[in-house]
Order: sequence, then C-alpha cells, then structure tokens
Amino acid sequence: MDRSSRSRSRRLAPVVAVAAAAALTLAGCSSDSGGKKAAEGGSGAPAGKAGTPRMTVALVTHQAPGDTFWDIVRKGAEAAAAKDNIKLVYSADPSAGTQANLVQNAVDQKVDGIALTLAKPGAMKDVVARANLAKIPVVGLNSGLSDWKKLGLLQFFGQDESVAGEALGKKLNEVGAKRIVCVIHEQGNVGLTQRCDGVRKTFSGKTETLYVNGTDRPSVQSTITAKLKQDSSLDHVVTLGAPFALTAVQSVADAGGKAKVATFDLNKDLTGAVKKGTIEFAVDQQPYLQGYLAVDSLWLYKNNGNYSGGGEQPVLTGPAFVDKSNVDRVAEFAAKGTR
Amino acid sequence: MSTAQRTEPASGPPPVSGPVRGAGRPLALRLVARPEVGVFLGALAVMVFFLVAAPTLRQGDSMATVLYQCSTIGLMALPVALLMIGGEFDLSSGVAVITSALTASMLSYQLTVNVWTGVLVSLVLSLAIGAFNGWMVVRTGLPSFLVTLGTFLILQGVNLAVTKLVTGNVATDDISDMDGFGQAKAVFASSVDIGGVQVKITVFYWLAFAALATWVLLRTKYGNWIFAVGGSKESARAVGVRVDFTKITLFMLVSFGAWFVGMHNLFAFNTVQSGEGVGQELIYIAAAVIGGCLLTGGSGSAIGPVFGAFMFGMVNQGIVFAGWNPDWFKAFLGVMLLGAVLINLWVQRTATRR
Amino acid sequence: MTDQSTAPLVELRDAGKSYGNVRALHGVDLTVHAGRVTCVLGDNGAGKSTLIKIISGLHRHTEGEFLVDGEPVRFDSPRDALAKGIAAVYQDLATIPLMPVWRNFFLGSELTKGPWPLRRLDIARMKETADRELREMGIALDDLEQPIGTLSGGQRQCVAIARAVHFGARVLILDEPTAALGVKQSGVVLKYIAAARDRGLGVIFITHNPHHAYMVGDHFSVLRLGTLELSAARGDITLEDLTNHMAGGAELAALKHELAQVRGVDVAELP
Repeated sequence: MDRSSRSRSRRLAPVVAVAAAAALTLAGCSSDSGGKKAAEGGSGAPAGKAGTPRMTVALVTHQAPGDTFWDIVRKGAEAAAAKDNIKLVYSADPSAGTQANLVQNAVDQKVDGIALTLAKPGAMKDVVARANLAKIPVVGLNSGLSDWKKLGLLQFFGQDESVAGEALGKKLNEVGAKRIVCVIHEQGNVGLTQRCDGVRKTFSGKTETLYVNGTDRPSVQSTITAKLKQDSSLDHVVTLGAPFALTAVQSVADAGGKAKVATFDLNKDLTGAVKKGTIEFAVDQQPYLQGYLAVDSLWLYKNNGNYSGGGEQPVLTGPAFVDKSNVDRVAEFAAKGTR
Repeated sequence: MSTAQRTEPASGPPPVSGPVRGAGRPLALRLVARPEVGVFLGALAVMVFFLVAAPTLRQGDSMATVLYQCSTIGLMALPVALLMIGGEFDLSSGVAVITSALTASMLSYQLTVNVWTGVLVSLVLSLAIGAFNGWMVVRTGLPSFLVTLGTFLILQGVNLAVTKLVTGNVATDDISDMDGFGQAKAVFASSVDIGGVQVKITVFYWLAFAALATWVLLRTKYGNWIFAVGGSKESARAVGVRVDFTKITLFMLVSFGAWFVGMHNLFAFNTVQSGEGVGQELIYIAAAVIGGCLLTGGSGSAIGPVFGAFMFGMVNQGIVFAGWNPDWFKAFLGVMLLGAVLINLWVQRTATRR
Repeated sequence: MTDQSTAPLVELRDAGKSYGNVRALHGVDLTVHAGRVTCVLGDNGAGKSTLIKIISGLHRHTEGEFLVDGEPVRFDSPRDALAKGIAAVYQDLATIPLMPVWRNFFLGSELTKGPWPLRRLDIARMKETADRELREMGIALDDLEQPIGTLSGGQRQCVAIARAVHFGARVLILDEPTAALGVKQSGVVLKYIAAARDRGLGVIFITHNPHHAYMVGDHFSVLRLGTLELSAARGDITLEDLTNHMAGGAELAALKHELAQVRGVDVAELP
C-alpha cells in the first residue's frame, strides 16, 4: 500500500509541476481588456451617522440563498442600519415555518424592531402577535400588501408581486404585445406565481406559462428555446428575475425568432442589455428602497414616533419601469449592485 | 483425473429456472436483460412518442435544442455513472459545477488576468475537491452519501459567501470582454453548423466522452477495477486491485466533469449565479440510474447514462414542444425513474439467480 | 510425522497475534509442504481467521516467527503475500458476483496489450487462458461471459482456486470453502483441493468439519482458544480422534456423561 502510493506520487510529481508552470505562465499574461481594473469606479458616498442610542433590528425574509433581488434588499437595509446606528440582524429562509421560527428567535432576543416579509401571511400570524405582545414594533416589506394591517404591522413598504405583475401586463399592452410566455424559474414559488398571475390579469393578449429549472442555466436556455420553436407566434418572453432575462435573450437568438424580452427585477448586466436594446424593459420594485425604508422607519418610529403612510396606507416602492429612456441613470447604481 | 471432474450443470437448479441460465437463454431475452438496452428502448419510445405528439420537434434545430439540454446533463451523468458503478455517490457534483465556474470567473476578473488562468486554476481546485471527497471516503470508511453531503453543504455555503465577499454581489461580473474569452468560448461553448442546424459543441463532447468512457470501462484494466470495487470492495482488495486509488480517481473524474460543465456554463452565459447548481446532483444520479447503473454499485455502463440523459432531456423538452401543461413534468420524471429502478432490480435478480 | 526432506513452503514457529490487549492467537506452530494438505480445524472464535490473516498478509504477527522458504518475512499487504506465492481464497470474498467469469479470473492481474494511452485488455487471450485453466482443474463452462454469481457456490470456489493456481500460487489458503455448501457441492470442492495438491501446491484447508478435513488432509492442526490443541499427521490419528478434538475432547466427554443422565438420549450412538 505504502509502496504503491509513493510510486504514484512520484509519477504525479512531474504532472503537477507542468500544470503549475503552465498556470504561472498564463498568470503572467494579464488580460488587457475587461476585468476588475476596467471596472474600478467611484464608490458611493457614505451618509452621515445618527447620534441616537444603538438599537437592534431583525430583518427576516423568505429569501432563497444566492438570490440577487434579496441581496439588494439586504444592502438597502444595511445602508439604513449604518446610518441610523442600528445593529442589523439578517436571517432568511424560504420555508414559511422556518421563517416564523426565525421571527420568534428575534422576539426571544428582545430586539428593538422587526422587519419581515409576509410571503405566507398565515404562517406569520402567531409570531407577529407574540412580537406585539412583547411590545416590539413590526414592519412589513416586499410581500403582504393585503395582509399587513390585519396582522397588526405598523407600516408596510413594497409592492405586492401581483401589483407588479399587473403593471407589467399593462405595459405589455402599451408596447403592442399579443402573445407572451411567462417563465417561472422555481415551480411552486408563491411570489413568482403571483407575478405571472398579475401579468395575466391585465394583459389583453394570450399568456402562457413555462416552468424552467432555475438552478441549471443550460436547461433554462434550452427550455425557453424549445418553447419559442414550439410556438413561433410568441412575441414576448417575460422572465421573473434578471439572470433569466439574460438567458432568455440567448434563447431568442438560438430560436431565430423575433420575440422580445421583458423582465422583473434588475441587475447590472441587465441594464447593459436594456441599453443595447436586447431587453425591451424591466419592471423594478426597488428592493434597495424596501430594505432601506423598512429599517429606517423603525428608527423613526422609536426616536420620533413617526408612521410612514400614516400607519394606514402602504408605502409603494414600485412599479418603476426601466427602459431605454431612463436606463443610463439607473445603470450607474445597478453597477454597484444597489439598484 | 481431470476428465473425471467435469461439473454437471444438472447439479444446480430445478429445470423451471432454465430460461434465466446463461446457456439456454434466448439471445433476445439476454439482450433485453442488458440495462442499457432497456433504457435505449425506453428512450426510443419516448422520442417516437414526442415526435408524433409535437410536430415542431421534427425540425432539425428543435432536435439540436433537445440534444443541448441532454448534453449538459449527460456530460455530468457520465462520470457520476462511473462513480456509481464504482459503488459511491457524489452529492456535491451539482454545486461543484458552480464552484468551478465561480472560481474561474472571479479569479480572472479580480486579478484581471487572461481567462485561461482562471480556467486552469479552477481545474486544479476542482480536482482537489474530488480528491478530497475520495480521500475522505476511503480513509474514514464513511458512506460517500454522508461525506459528499458534507461537501455539498460546504460548497453551497462557500459559493455564496465567497462570491459575496469578493464581488459584493451574489453573481460574478461579466467577463465576456476579457482576454482569452473568445478562445475559451470556442472551446467550451461554441456551436457547430451541421447542414444549416446549429449544434452546440457540448453535444459532441458528450458523445465523445461517452465513447471514451465505454472503451475505458470495457476494455481497460481501470474499467475492470471500477466494476470490481463497486461489486465487492473486499474481494477486489483481496485479489490485488488498488481499491483506494480507483475510488479516489473516480471522485476526481466527477470533479473533472463538474469543471468541464462549469466552464461551459461560464463561457455560455458570461456570468455565474452563486446559488445555482443545487439539486442538479440528483438529476445526474437519476440519469445514471435510468441508464441502468445499480445504486449499489458493480453494474452499469457508460452508454446507458447517455440514453438516460437523453430520455431526461427528451421528456423535459418534449413536454414543452408538445405544448402540454408543464406542471406534470416532475410526475413524468418520477414515473420514468421508478420504471428504470424496477428494471434494474429485475436485472440484478436475474443475473444472480442460480 | 511424515516430514519431507525439503524445507517447508510456509512455517510458523510459536507465532501469535495480539490486538491491543486481546491475545487472539499464541504459540502456534504450523508447517506447509508442497503437495500436501494441511488442515486447520477449530470452532468459531478459535483463532482460525486470525491465522489466515497472518499468512495471507492482511495482518502482521506480533509474536514468534513466520517463515516462507525458510526466510523470515513480514507482509504489509496481500500483494506481498501473493508475490511470495501465497494466495488466499476466501469463502465470501472470492469473487465479484456481477462480473463475468473471465474478468473475475484475471481481476487484479489483467493481461493487456498495446502502448500506454491505448493499452487495453487482451480479452481473447484472457478468455482462452481462463478456459484452459478451468478445464485443467476439471471445470467446463459453456459461457465465460456469464456473471460468476450465476455459478453454484462450489463452482465459484473452484474458479477462485483455479485462478490462484494460474497466478503462480504455491501455497493456497482456503477459508472454509465448504462451509456454505451442500453435500454434493462440498464434494466438488474437495475434489479440486485434491487436484490442487496433486499439482504440487501446498494447501492450507481451514474448516470446522473434521469429515471434510479427513478426506483430503495430510496433516491436522486443531486450534482452540487461540492456541494449538493438536498437531498430528494423518497416520497418527483417526477420524474419531479428530472429531473428538475438534469438538473439544474432554469437554465433549463431560457433555456425554451429562447427556447419559437424561433419559431418551442414547449415548452409544454419539460419536
């Protein structure tokens, strides 16, 4: 055993050496185009910091790991926390039961405020009641537009997924779309289904649904391609997340069709595509604003007794459309990953 | 004296089990008993079915789309199948694809170097992950299911955390304007024109690797050892097979596959989303099982998973081409998988019955 | 003792093995000569498997001496033992059920042809050799492609024995080759043991069946509680003696006596 492994490593040694040498050689020739060096730009100016006593705020969302949208929400929340001298505790889980546990956890820790999403309002009812009992202010963000008051939340920032969908449906009517396909990248996800349903509600043409496997990019691309080939009368592909919009652009090219791509949410590559015209428009609900306002409102409530929206009306953060006309302004911030 | 010692076949089973014995079995039955023949017939049936049900599928470029989907699954299903024949699992294979793509992308971008540097470093890292998996499995003797579940979770976390740490976002930056990208794209993610139909290069890699894997499995010593370590590790060790070497290299083969598919993803889509890949490992394993690889190891082929991946991709795209309610896709897949497993069970019983 | 003039192939002198504080084997003397069958008998837990593991190179002895061709040796792995011509055929571990007969025959020592990147199995030669060797041992199979799992237990053992012989084994260690077999199949295996002996191999036949041992054995060693209870050549011992020792000799006498007190047991019929 020993003997054989030693002789094996002796045989491997030259291979490793060659590989290392090759890597070093290549490392020597740096890229003359693109890369980080080309992208270095000015950083956002940090705002001043409040002198109020330190407080702790828990932000609990239904984010699935690695989702761009929620990453931006979190950045907004962090920016507000830094400005307001708040210690932000972020936690998230896509399953409603676990999310409720995370909220309970925050209640147990006696935080000074809780901001949460109501993707499944029923599951949050009990924990919100317990937070109210413990006199912890609770605000809602993103999803739960129709339920936040019933549950006893102080205020709400965001835009229901279905409202965003409805807005996009109307916009599609304006640009003259006739037949569209709505691409859901996670089967059974409530928020995504609401977006598609919203589109279907206001869009006057025919809407089809397509499920793709969001964790597998090649599969997303070929499935959208297949759909476009199957039904050549489709004139718009609606995706529900920025990365999928970019993949859909490739699918359209592959299918050789003339379909256009419209999408929910933004990221920096997407603004580039809007600029180039490969993506027609994006509807944005300004996730940064949702995170920022939710945290900031808790600070205002504690230090000045303010209610955003008077405690009666939700604060709507969208829909904000991004198309060729305003993309330049948005792109600057999207590049930093905050829009 | 040797003449007196012929074994008499009659000494074994009662005559009723005649048909399943090697000697008297009709050729057709023996052929069907081969798992890859079973899945070939299954794949053929699915294809004919969808060709009838979906007229748009009959165009050449539609078929190219189906094959593209099949190839990216199939490229990973191949090494995963070999590993399964060798008696082990790798649950980290799905996220390992993304790990390799993230590594290459971030390294090239952050250091602003030629993308080939990232590609090579990512290869080394991927192989190291595979070697680690294999080493842990053979050293600790723990089930590979557990060990790679650990690596799966680790990689999932690391993918996200490191990407966030390095880029500040959950996706990598676009590297399509960097040096070497064009070349790398030509190697990993280009298309080939065949009679006016654009066929993705991964399809050719997939078929070439499958041919190579078949040759290795059936015609080389290493292939013999793969069957042996999966069939019975102790027996193999007792007759002098280098069991640990075989297992570790099989894990490294999977990570090589992950690297390859990772590079395709990167150069086809310019950026990588750090949360991707989760759940893919089960699809690879499913393709291998549909392709006739035994979950318990020791039996299977390299050609079977090709049909397994084809069947998987065909159903996936076929439902779209047929314009059916896609809600049913998972149910279809479940039925296929169950069918494949039942066939496998039957094969194993037949093969070991006396 | 029917000692031969030539040096024994394998010899243990006062050998023993401890696993930590547990002394599994001690004070064992054993010699194996070419063309002879040395039987090692013993009840479960008597130390038989430890003995095999030492000789086949899976474990190292911790006491006494282990000589091959008169030279002291220490094996690191079964490969080392194989290199010295000592091959073990295990009862359960002999073969890989789902692999074809010919692949099993050559597993671990495959014949290849061609230069490196294209080096491949020489299938025709392997099949031909396997068939020839099996026929020489008296086994004729109509299809070498059939999975070895479809063969009967006795046939599988025989393939394993034929394999060991082909790969230059001079000493065969057979671990309970008849344990899981019926009467007829056991007979088949015993014939092959005799065949191997007649080809000039030294055979270590491990069993707990004195009847099987007595049919082919030239020398009998009985292990009990980790040490040697009896070591006798065939001429010096009868089957009854052997059975007695195997069953624990004195203990059996006591048991017989006890049973005599119980009505309905005819002690005269007991061995």
